[in-house]
Amino acid sequence: MNALLHYRTELDYADAPSSIVAELVGERLRGDPMTVSVKDLFKDFGTTAALNGVSLDIAGGELIALLGPSGSGKTTLLRLIAGLEFPTSGQIRFGEEDASAKSVRERNVGFVFQHYALFRHMTVYENIAFGLRVRPRATRPDEATIRKRVSTLLELIQLPGLERRYPTQLSGGQRQRVALARAIAVDPRVLLLDEPFGALDAKVRKELRRWLREIHDQTGHTTVFVTHDQEEALELADRVVVMNNGKIEQVGTADDIYDRPATPFVFDFIGDSSALPVTVDKGHVFLDDRVLAVDAKAQPDGPATLFFRPNHIELSSTGQESGALVGVVRAARRIGDVRRLELEAGLARHRFEIDVPIDANVNLHGRVAFRIVKSRLFPGQAAHSQASV
Amino acid sequence: MSDVSLTAPSLRAAATSRAEPTTEARPVRGLLIAITLIFLGVFLLFPLVVVFTEALGRGVFAYFSALADPDAVASIQLTLLVAAIAVPANLVFGVAAAWAVAKYEFRGKAFLITLIDLPFSVSPVISGLIYVVLFGAQGYLGPTLQSYGIQIIFAVPGIVLATIFVTFPFVARELIPLMQEQGTQEEEAAISLGASGWQTFWCVTLPNVKWGLMYGVLLCNARAMGEFGAVSVVSGKIRGETTTMPLHVEILYNDYQGTAAFAVASLLALLALVTLVVKTFLEWRFGDELSAARR
Repeated sequence: MNALLHYRTELDYADAPSSIVAELVGERLRGDPMTVSVKDLFKDFGTTAALNGVSLDIAGGELIALLGPSGSGKTTLLRLIAGLEFPTSGQIRFGEEDASAKSVRERNVGFVFQHYALFRHMTVYENIAFGLRVRPRATRPDEATIRKRVSTLLELIQLPGLERRYPTQLSGGQRQRVALARAIAVDPRVLLLDEPFGALDAKVRKELRRWLREIHDQTGHTTVFVTHDQEEALELADRVVVMNNGKIEQVGTADDIYDRPATPFVFDFIGDSSALPVTVDKGHVFLDDRVLAVDAKAQPDGPATLFFRPNHIELSSTGQESGALVGVVRAARRIGDVRRLELEAGLARHRFEIDVPIDANVNLHGRVAFRIVKSRLFPGQAAHSQASV
Repeated sequence: MSDVSLTAPSLRAAATSRAEPTTEARPVRGLLIAITLIFLGVFLLFPLVVVFTEALGRGVFAYFSALADPDAVASIQLTLLVAAIAVPANLVFGVAAAWAVAKYEFRGKAFLITLIDLPFSVSPVISGLIYVVLFGAQGYLGPTLQSYGIQIIFAVPGIVLATIFVTFPFVARELIPLMQEQGTQEEEAAISLGASGWQTFWCVTLPNVKWGLMYGVLLCNARAMGEFGAVSVVSGKIRGETTTMPLHVEILYNDYQGTAAFAVASLLALLALVTLVVKTFLEWRFGDELSAARR
């Protein structure tokens, strides 16, 4: 390989030999990853409700992302699954077994904390070995087994040789990997990660993301992680759980979530979106008195909100053709390969965004005519946070 | 050498022309330092020197014979005994209180913290009187206990109680902010890894606060051995029985036995010096750990 091209990232995650994985993962886990299901979970903190009736089934070996804005209840749900909190009502099952009343000690989960929570007075080695050392005498492995397991894990997280270091002597990414090794060391039934990459810089975050996917594919743990970063969730997870206000808005694959958002919130929260308050009348969609080229045959009459992606439009040369919409350009900025225009349209001067080619002939305060080619109608006036990045 | 003498004035000129914006002028700084030093010398260092010169004024033999006096030995023993009971008691209490305050949310927490500080704000004499009122011959519980042959006031138990009361806040006060800052995440991690509450305490919580704990114990010990006011009220000052070292010093001094008084006092002063040295060492160590924990 060309030496110049061989850029060694902090995390050179060349495939860990499969023997490592075989050693790490007991036959139990490989053959039988744990399913997790929660049913009608409610959690109140004092008078505020953090979770409002959440039900979710997680298949064995699945990698699930809990995605939502802060305060949406995603971390609460994770902590309830872990047993770090107890639900006000509802049920949590691990496989066939009701885990609702079990403490975090008995649930045998691996929990990775947002700020790592490494034991600061212990070396990397002692941190990873902790879960094995605190076992009751009958099930506690002997020192040689512990040493073997720790060194295997150090290889898996690609930090061999750092066992004598203290957490303060490690970088953020290294600490996070030690935290993961410590959680895996106890051979958990489920792996739970709370904003695992939240405190890391963007580059390390991307590397760790791919690496976590690799580890997951190798070890096969049922894994749930919390994130507020949609890119992370969509890229990493088998299925994404979008949460808002203590409720699940939608569960699905990245494609489901992005292409077929179930609720206005999901459309708004995932990816860029524009929204227009419209009126549906006999299968036609009106913005004020203008008919839009949107099919609404299945929609009930009345007020509705039209959601579309800024890039799901095509410019129209005249603005006279039926269904076209004309807006006044209020701002324009360059985003990657396109120019994003902030338009004003309609009597109430609704603001929204569209993407146009860089070479499109548009002027600030000039008029732009376009057609929405792909959109989604939701009945009622939905709240929409105009994306302003 | 000549280079240095040539460049030094120019450097200094550069420094004064661009004085640090956040620092006082040179004369003000000098004045502040001088005031501090004079104050320390007159009020702290000079008395300390006097204690030792007075103690050794009549020679080393007089000094040691004063210390070998049976009453003096008894007072030293009593002081050590009281400290040996009061310090561990407050160690246990301090850790428990700090744990409760730092790791749990409960009603009346602010009140509990204020209560822990009470011995700091109450005069030691009052602290002693409380126990006289409770356990004295005319007190609430005194007659009952007396009928069972239990003597608290004018006896060792009273001295221990008063000392515990006065040294109550030291350990807790030291640990509460430290534990609050460290939060509960490491404990949660330990429990999620299968550790019991006891294992979590011994393997995670305690090692994280060990320097702060030692610091608190040290201050607690110094105060326990040096306490005068509260102990003096409950002790009854029976020589050789209920006099701790500070009380013994006072008795000797009132008896015009200056050398003997200063000899015992010199031991207390020595204790203070040792405490100071260990405290400085711990601050150095402990400060390091704290900054490491924050990093």
